[in-house]
Parts: sequence; C-alpha cells; structure tokens
Amino acid sequence: MLSHGIANAKINQRLFNPKMIDNQNSNGNANSVVISVNNVTRQYLGGSFTAVDDISLDLRENEIVTFIGPSGCGKTTVLRMIAGLEYPTQGELFAYKKPIVGPGPDRGMIFQAYTSFPWLTTRKNVEYGMKLMGVRKDDRRARAQQFLELVHLEDFAESYPASLSGGMKQRVAIARTLAQNPRVLLMDEPFGALDAQVRWEMQEMMIDIIGREKTTVVTVTHDIQEAIFLADRIIFFTRNPGRVKADIRVEFKQGKRIPRKEDMLALPGYVDLEMKLFAMMREEIK
Amino acid sequence: MPNIEEKAGDGKGEIRATGIAGGRKSSFFELRGSISRQTTLLLGMLGGLVFFGIWELGHILTPDSSKRFLPSPETVVSAFWFLLTEKGYIYDIGKSCYRIFGSFFLVCVVSVPLGILMGCFIKFRALINPTISAARYLPAASFIPLLLVWFGPTDTQKMALLFLGVVFFLIALVLDNTKAVQKELVEAALTMGADRRRVVLGVVVPAVAPAVIDSMRTMIAVGWTYLVIAEIVAATDGIGAVMMRAGRFLKVDIIMAGILTIGILGVLTDLAFRLLAHYAFPWNRER
Repeated sequence: MLSHGIANAKINQRLFNPKMIDNQNSNGNANSVVISVNNVTRQYLGGSFTAVDDISLDLRENEIVTFIGPSGCGKTTVLRMIAGLEYPTQGELFAYKKPIVGPGPDRGMIFQAYTSFPWLTTRKNVEYGMKLMGVRKDDRRARAQQFLELVHLEDFAESYPASLSGGMKQRVAIARTLAQNPRVLLMDEPFGALDAQVRWEMQEMMIDIIGREKTTVVTVTHDIQEAIFLADRIIFFTRNPGRVKADIRVEFKQGKRIPRKEDMLALPGYVDLEMKLFAMMREEIK
Repeated sequence: MPNIEEKAGDGKGEIRATGIAGGRKSSFFELRGSISRQTTLLLGMLGGLVFFGIWELGHILTPDSSKRFLPSPETVVSAFWFLLTEKGYIYDIGKSCYRIFGSFFLVCVVSVPLGILMGCFIKFRALINPTISAARYLPAASFIPLLLVWFGPTDTQKMALLFLGVVFFLIALVLDNTKAVQKELVEAALTMGADRRRVVLGVVVPAVAPAVIDSMRTMIAVGWTYLVIAEIVAATDGIGAVMMRAGRFLKVDIIMAGILTIGILGVLTDLAFRLLAHYAFPWNRER
C-alpha cells in the first residue's frame, strides 16, 4: 500500500488506480491513527483568549468523527488546525505521523460558506482540484463525471454556481473535494446554511458517499441529530476554555452506517444518546 | 439563465415569485420590485424628455436680450454639428479621447495589480497603504503648476494630471474589492493544494475581476473631470480647449455642445465597460 503522504505526487499515483481506491482500507491496517492532536492549545489576542486548551485526540482511519459543542468551544479551531489553515500556539498536530505544517489535498475541506468558484462551471469546479494535482485532462474529465454522478449533478455540469441552489452548491464543493481523493475529509458545519429538508437529504447523501469512498471524516456541527446520524464517534467540546468534555462512541448503531434517517431514529438507544447530548448542551449554556 | 430549482424545491423561488406587489395593483412607488425591459427604456426616455422640456422651457422664458446665454437644445445640437463639419471638431474629440484613455490605461496598469497585491499580502499593504492614502488627500489640481514646469503644456502634462487624479482612488477601490473576496474561496483553494501564485492568479483575480471593472467604470468618470481641467488650463486642442475658447467669445452654444460631447462620450464609455463585463463574465450576469 502506498503511503499517503502530503506530497501531491504520491496522491496522484494512487488517484487513478481504481483498484487501489477500492482497496484503500481493506488491507488490515484499518483503525490506524490518521490524525493525531497532541496537547494542542490555541490562544488569540496575545494569550488573553484561549480557544483550545490542551486538547489531545487520535482520529482513526475510516472513522466518522463529529465535533459538537456550544458556540465558541473551539471545535472549528481544532478542525481548521487539522486542515492546516491555523496553527497551534502550543502542542503539535500530526497527519499519518507527519507534522501538519499547512493545508494540503490529503485533507479535503468543506466549508459552511459556499466555496464553489463562481467563475467556473460545475464540471470545471470539480476538475479544479485535480488540475492542481497535475492530473491529465482526460482522466480529470472522466473522474469529474464520476463524481458529478455521485452527487447527482450530472445534469448541471455546464451550469455556473449562480444558477444553483445552496444544496447544489454544497454538492459541487463535496464532489470537488472528494475527486482529489483526500485521505481525510474535514467538514465545517457543511449543511449549516441549508434548509432543514435539504439538510437531511445531504446528510443521507454523505452517508452514502462516505460508504463508497471509505474516507475518514471529521465534521463539525451544532445539530445533535446530525451528529448522531453521521458519527461513529462524537466528541463533545466545552467552552471557556475549549476542552474535550466527552468522547462518545455511538454504540447503538452497532458499527453500521444507517442510510435512512428515520431508520436511525427508530433504533433503540437513539433517544438515550440524544437526551444525553442535550443534557450536556444544557449544562454548557447555563 | 435558466432558473434551476432544487429537486424538490426549497420554496424560496415561490416566495419571491409572489413578491411584494404580487396579486395587488402595481403602483409607481412599488418597493424594489421588477420591471420589464420596455418599461425601463420607456421610463429612461421619459426622464430625458422631461429634462429637455425643462431646458426648452427655460430658454423660452428667458427674455430675448439674454437668450444667447441659455440657447435652446436645438441650437446646441446644431452648434455640435457645426463644430463637427466646419471646425474639425473630430480632431479635438480624438485628442481628448487619446489623453483620457491613454492615461486611464496607465492608471489601470499601475493600480489594478497594486490594489490586488495589497489586498492579498498584508505586509505589502502595510508598507504602501499609508503613503497612498495620504496621496489621496492631495488635490490633483494642485499639481498643475508643478506639471506645467516639468512637462510644459504638453500631452504628457495633461495625462500626468489625469493619472495623479485617478490612480490613488482606483488603488483604494481595487484594494477594497480584493479584501471583499470571500475568505473561504482562498481557503478552499489552499486546502486543495494551491500554492500562493495559484491562489492569487487563479482565485483572487477571477473572483475580484467583475468588481474591478465596476471600479474602473466609476473612476473613468472622474477621469473626465481632470481631463477638462487639464484642457482648460493650458491647451490649444481637445474638447476642453474648444470650450474655453468659445467662452472667451461668449459662445454659450459651443460651450454647451462641448458639455454635450463629454456627456455622450461618458455614456458610451460606460456602455463599453458594461458590455465588457457582460461578455467577459458570463457567470456574473445580473439575474
């Protein structure tokens, strides 16, 4: 198995060998640590505000991890530090045992704001990341088509983002990021700006896509139901200062990812977990 | 552009469709709302007619002894025609256009890259911005004596004045345009592995381009002001010089024809910028 380094060249080799994509996680090294957050502190305003206070976390391959917590608890800051968009004031972060020194396509990121480039068509948007990686034109086109179909946007391939709805714009961003075959997918409240109904459509779509792509996922959310639906593991952050309050494995799903939201709601154990998280949230906002 | 709805519709489209005036009698003072192309054209022409009507009325009401100080619109138009056919006015127009477009081109060459770089790199901004901001407060007209000493009453002197009058403002506008580029677009490109050069050229530049064209459209209008100032002070040719000469002989119709010329050229320039934006940025067309 090729090591999935931060260097683009290595990712390229991996990217267009479909067999290797399929086998990415079935080589017995599942659950190896992918992202390591070691005693990380992040302060702002010259140390007078501590957003993240001495957090340590190990995120494992294939896991879907959800960061949840009240506003200002540092969950987004931790995510952005994993992405390499921000730096810790103390401590270190590692991706595949290498220190994270900046952003890179091995850690794809979806933002709450729509980030599809307005001057590119849907297709060109999806191709953009691959173009950066130096993927040949034909390969780019074929793979873009594949991912457009995955997010059900093949009919809008030649549309500009301005004519797409919010949910569709977010799907462009998801396709664009996944087309780079990131080892870790980071999502910062990706559905926060969407209507409730579009949001759950997107959540179900994500479960489907993550199942196919076998990516490690870290997602930040405010939404307890979304957290439980997506996550294998929920990390609850507390604020002032930002620390980990609880690290919860979602046991009641018995290791399965449930494709339909109502099926999950019907499972025994769902309500208990939801109430537990609500209670924790209530404590935080007091 | 086709109006594409989310699969099951998110409802927003319907709300907008019924709008504020929906189902009700449309009123002239409908808040915002939308109008058809024909109505836009019609109202625009009506506004123009009212203007010329008031002008004509003013002319009629002026006592005969002073009528030459407020000529009628027809007189001005025929003065314009007289200039074109008898006085080689087209040469003056060409000269003025050369000065304004030539110097504005230089303004753009300097301020667009500078504004974008300042918007992208905070240290670069910190280095340059204080000086440029101060320069904005210097009235360009105060440079006229200096420029006359340096360059004499030449084209260079006029273009330098125009340049100084516009460049600092355009830098400031482009800087603001660049700062307004959504931060997440840049961050998304970074997480996809774009290096700095690609972020600036491949993301910031296309993202900011329509706003920059808009800023240029605004600033070239200011450019006309400085052109006329430059041509009034020390010139033998150009629209401003023609007007100044006419002023000496109290030929108000010629002066007004000059103003009319500048107005027409201004509208045409504006139109050119709009067309440029329309065809260069199909993704940004008004919807």
